[in-house]
Amino acid sequence: MNIKPAKQFLEQPYWQHLAKGKLFLNSCNDCGSSHHPPSPICPKCRSFNTGWKEASGKATLNSFTVVRHAVHPHLEQDVPYIVTLVDLEEGVRLVSGIPAGMEVDLKVGMALECKVIQKDEDFALPYFVPVDADKA
Amino acid sequence: MKTSIVGIGQTEFSTNSGRSELKLALEAILSALDDAGLEVNDIDGLVRYTWDNTSEAAIVNALGLPSLKYYGETEFGGVNCCGAIAQASAAIQAGLASCVVFYRALNARSGVRFGRGERVLSEDGDALISHQPEPPGDIYSAPFGLLVPGQHHALYAQSYKGHYGLSDERFTEMLGSVAVTQRRYANNNPRALMKDRSLTMDDYKNARVISEPLRIFDYCLETDGAMAIVLVSQERARSMSAKAVDVLSASQYIFPGSVPMYLYAKDTYSLAPPEAGEVLFGRAGLKPSDIDVAMVYDATSMMVPLALEDFGFIGRGEAADFLISGQNGPNGSLPVNTHGGLLSEGYFHGLNSIAEGVRQLRGESSNQMKADTVFMTLRGASSMIMGRA
Ligand SMILES: [Zn+2]
Repeated sequence: MNIKPAKQFLEQPYWQHLAKGKLFLNSCNDCGSSHHPPSPICPKCRSFNTGWKEASGKATLNSFTVVRHAVHPHLEQDVPYIVTLVDLEEGVRLVSGIPAGMEVDLKVGMALECKVIQKDEDFALPYFVPVDADKA
Repeated sequence: MKTSIVGIGQTEFSTNSGRSELKLALEAILSALDDAGLEVNDIDGLVRYTWDNTSEAAIVNALGLPSLKYYGETEFGGVNCCGAIAQASAAIQAGLASCVVFYRALNARSGVRFGRGERVLSEDGDALISHQPEPPGDIYSAPFGLLVPGQHHALYAQSYKGHYGLSDERFTEMLGSVAVTQRRYANNNPRALMKDRSLTMDDYKNARVISEPLRIFDYCLETDGAMAIVLVSQERARSMSAKAVDVLSASQYIFPGSVPMYLYAKDTYSLAPPEAGEVLFGRAGLKPSDIDVAMVYDATSMMVPLALEDFGFIGRGEAADFLISGQNGPNGSLPVNTHGGLLSEGYFHGLNSIAEGVRQLRGESSNQMKADTVFMTLRGASSMIMGRA
């Protein structure tokens, strides 16, 4: 699958951190809470004093779907693929997925961990995989 | 609210209308005025979705309306099917306009399709590019292949299934009951795209999976056509036609993460907190047990169990029992989507479901129920109750 945000987005801190292999979350310098998608203001204390904090990478699976129908001609070779919603320890939700080819047995509520995968030189994605997936 | 729906009008539903969205809109508006017994020059207000391609200017100019004293737009598409009714009603009650038409025209099958990724992506060599700041198909979703609303609905469905620990079989029967029951309604409905196509539970179970756990028959029908709804004050409606249906309550209710696509909402196995129902029913002085027929914006079948639970028609986690036992059917305790819904009549961004509510209350439905009070919602984001004040 080769779908990217447009270039002007890749210049933003969220994507710049990912391109260096790390998942950073937009976080409040005053109250410490994290939020996603990134925003100019903290939705908890309404401070504009926000910055970036590295995520622990720990999450649970909120939901998932195995996409079997390609909704674009370019995706014909990619189906089936798995899209997930993951709830991070920091209290934020991310859209994520399971890397192509990885065998998984997904259950809502299961523990996941972040695995940033480089797609090309300026672009990487935060996948979340079952905690024991690499050991299996 | 102190307003009434006095006219409903539409073109045929099809997969290829063969004409412009403007022409479709005009046909639907004239048809709705005819139904109401009003003249074109009676229109002094228009409401529409921001997503509609046909502007108020295009309508005013095409019809040569002498003047338009109010026009308003609500964000998104069907999310605001009842929000547009609330807006038209508010304008009438505030004295900004006296006769407001809510219209929707779209060539959603022969033109730009909501079920296709091309709507949100551009091509750059081998790569596909997202430019969208918000779902669906936004920069955070698209790279994982989450592109169209129907895939989001699969995420809510899986979340519900997991949260209540439903087996594959029971979950399949729950949604299958929605699809099959609504198809039977559509088989009696001359307007329905699926009028002549039967659907059995076996057909449903054996159908192609689109995005697990949803099958092809869990999805609505991309449709070409147009619809229009005419509103006036209750007082004026009383002097017009016995067919008038009153807007007893109309509401909008969104919360952080809920719009556009609920990806970031706190819960994904429930799409509206209890307050959404309290606001809606409170304004009408009614409770869920007062409702005779429900219209649920079923972009997918999953919207039906969620709405029934979210608005307190049944308890949390009770949807499988309710639907599998056919309580949404013609002999059930709460018939749902008696036109066949967006699944089997057509995907008309909710206007066709409002129109079916009007028909039920007029006694003109193809699947007529005993109906004094009709409920309608889209995921709680906008909702209404129709009846007679
Ligand atoms: Zn803060």
